[in-house]
Amino acid sequence: MEHSHPTLILNNVTKRFGDLTAVEDLSLEVRPGRVFGLIGPNGAGKTTTIRMIVNIAAPDSGRIELFGTPLSMNVQDRIGYLPEERGLYRKMRVGEQLRFFAALKGLSWDDSNRRIGQWLGHLGLANTETRRVKDLSKGMQQKIQFIIALIHDPDLVILDEPFSGLDPVNVQLMKETILEEKAKGKTIILSTHQMEIAEKLCDDVCMLNRARKVLDGRLREIRRSFARNAVALQFEGGDGVLQDTNLVANVNQNGDDTEVLLAAGANPQLLLRRIVDSGAVVHKFQLVEPSLHDIFIDKVRENA
Amino acid sequence: MTKFLAVIKREYVQRVRSRMFIIATILGPAIVIAFTVVPAYVASFRAGGPTRIAVVDESGKLYQRFRDSLLSSALTDDERRRDSATLPSQVNANQEDRIKMAGRFGNPGFTVSRVDRVGKSLVDIKRDLNEQVRRGEIDIYVVIPENIMETGAAELYGRNTGDIFTRDAIENRLTRAIRDQRLADQNVPQQVMDHLSRRVNLKTTRVSNIGEEEDSGSGFYVVFAFGLIIYVTTLLYGQMVLGAVVEEKETRIAELLFSSMRSFPLMLGKLIGVSLVALTQLAIWAVAFVAVSLFGIGFLASQGANITLPHIPAMMFVYLGLYFVLGYFIYATMYALVGSVVSTVQEGGQLSLPIALLLVTSFCLTFPIARSPNSSMAFWASMFPFFAPITMLARILTETPPFWQILLSLAIGFATVVGLIWIAARIYRVGMLMTGKRATIPEVWRWIRQA
Repeated sequence: MEHSHPTLILNNVTKRFGDLTAVEDLSLEVRPGRVFGLIGPNGAGKTTTIRMIVNIAAPDSGRIELFGTPLSMNVQDRIGYLPEERGLYRKMRVGEQLRFFAALKGLSWDDSNRRIGQWLGHLGLANTETRRVKDLSKGMQQKIQFIIALIHDPDLVILDEPFSGLDPVNVQLMKETILEEKAKGKTIILSTHQMEIAEKLCDDVCMLNRARKVLDGRLREIRRSFARNAVALQFEGGDGVLQDTNLVANVNQNGDDTEVLLAAGANPQLLLRRIVDSGAVVHKFQLVEPSLHDIFIDKVRENA
Repeated sequence: MTKFLAVIKREYVQRVRSRMFIIATILGPAIVIAFTVVPAYVASFRAGGPTRIAVVDESGKLYQRFRDSLLSSALTDDERRRDSATLPSQVNANQEDRIKMAGRFGNPGFTVSRVDRVGKSLVDIKRDLNEQVRRGEIDIYVVIPENIMETGAAELYGRNTGDIFTRDAIENRLTRAIRDQRLADQNVPQQVMDHLSRRVNLKTTRVSNIGEEEDSGSGFYVVFAFGLIIYVTTLLYGQMVLGAVVEEKETRIAELLFSSMRSFPLMLGKLIGVSLVALTQLAIWAVAFVAVSLFGIGFLASQGANITLPHIPAMMFVYLGLYFVLGYFIYATMYALVGSVVSTVQEGGQLSLPIALLLVTSFCLTFPIARSPNSSMAFWASMFPFFAPITMLARILTETPPFWQILLSLAIGFATVVGLIWIAARIYRVGMLMTGKRATIPEVWRWIRQA
């Protein structure tokens, strides 16, 4: 999979709305069979980027290549899309609605009927087929939209903020479903401002801030390169140890946790030994990998 | 193509099955009746009894004629005389029926009484009569002066002088009475009087390319009725088109649609879907109307009524159909265009006012066009796509223009429809991405170019 042709390539793509530049000179590659996270705060340009990929908006400059061909209406049926702005026909029944959107993606009547049954059952909506959308809860509506994105078995699934407004149980269900789709070999683009979620699901990420890319690559490598020798501690006594500037660069009290950033050249083992030697009782000692959130803040500060 | 059909099917099925559609289909004719028959019926009410008129006849010889004239049926004496005096006897039965029927509806409802002078002065009589009017014993009194045959002036007194219908009726009947009296004074026999009063019966024949055709002048009414149908249909379903286009924007479904199909077939599909809904409803109404009127005509015919339907040649139906479709689509597309610019139906309502204005203008244009159907103004009006559906029909029905002009106007019209849908589709697609505020005209223009 590593060397296969990218599912999606963006090359120096720029999109402006009047004076506002929504996306500036963005280049990225999405590889097949992986979960690609498009992350960044609100207004960073994530949704505009996605709209260009699904051919709703045309870039002002730059090139987009999907499944190895320039973007066109012909490849649209191979994309499944869950827009951030959710919407369904409120008065339509669930089954009719799903059949309509399946038809818009070129699915035959028989196929769509079969898959609608499967999907509704899978997401715990089995008895809703004849109910009107407006009579469903928000969470249920969102799951219907999720089905719309997946019903035609697309090669590329684009999910824009798929977890917003969902309760924890349904968030878990969505996550599992996304990983199932990935296991089937689908490429998934996940756009979100919730970095904790991206951290758990994504193989690759691209961070956007103010229309520009600040960072992209494999999540694992990014985290490794940003490893900062940080330790999360819970202990009693031994206060003097953290004052040693040869050992500790910075201390952050975080509730019960004390977060310690080690000084250059110091190593965690040494810190642990010093604390134990000081007679303190250690409840917790954990090496901390930097979170995406921390990395993002770092990068944004760095660029500012 | 399957996507296009899916859009049509969704629009059609969802709308036809809705409760609103069923209610509107049933209530529509009821409302039309309520708005046409009821006001006419109410207006024909005569509150209270007949108008009581007292007549002071100073001339001494007009009372009898005036009274007869007032109490005769609603038909003017002219018509009545013509009918009874000149029509061949075999249709007289019919005509008498008509007079009776008309009389029943239009009974003037007067009671007339003569006021005798019996030595009193006119001033005294008027004082008495004024008192009677105040007490409500009579409604009106008319003073016919002695020299009325020379001056032609009389006086009317009454509490309610705002009743222009009664005032007109009295004036007409008195005029009639005086004219007859003058003729009688000249020793003109009654027969000659009738003869003199005969109305001219104008028989109209249209000279067309085919030859001579008898034409009762109903063509103009056909245009008018037809224009009205386009007008009402547009107002009814234009709003529906507007709603259909705005719906996806309000519910934010548009994004999903545009990611699945091009905007042109989407817009066209919506338009056709709604049009089929309109067609279904109109067809239901038309069948009901034809059934009712066939029954009604049959009933009236069995009662011996003489009914003539306007004579319309077969080719005319083809033109009516074509221009109806054109008219409907031109205006429906305009509503779609408005729908693509605005973000809520309410906003669309305000913005669609100019559309109705265009329709009214083309209505007004039919009058000068009917007078001179081959003028250059008529030509240009019938080529302008927004006026063509009504104005070209007016020309065809009055003085059929050369065939190439009809073809040209149809071609321009349908090209305009396609162009408008194309523009609406572009605005729709780009406008969908900018939410929150209403677009300005320069913005819309930019959307059209950049989409």
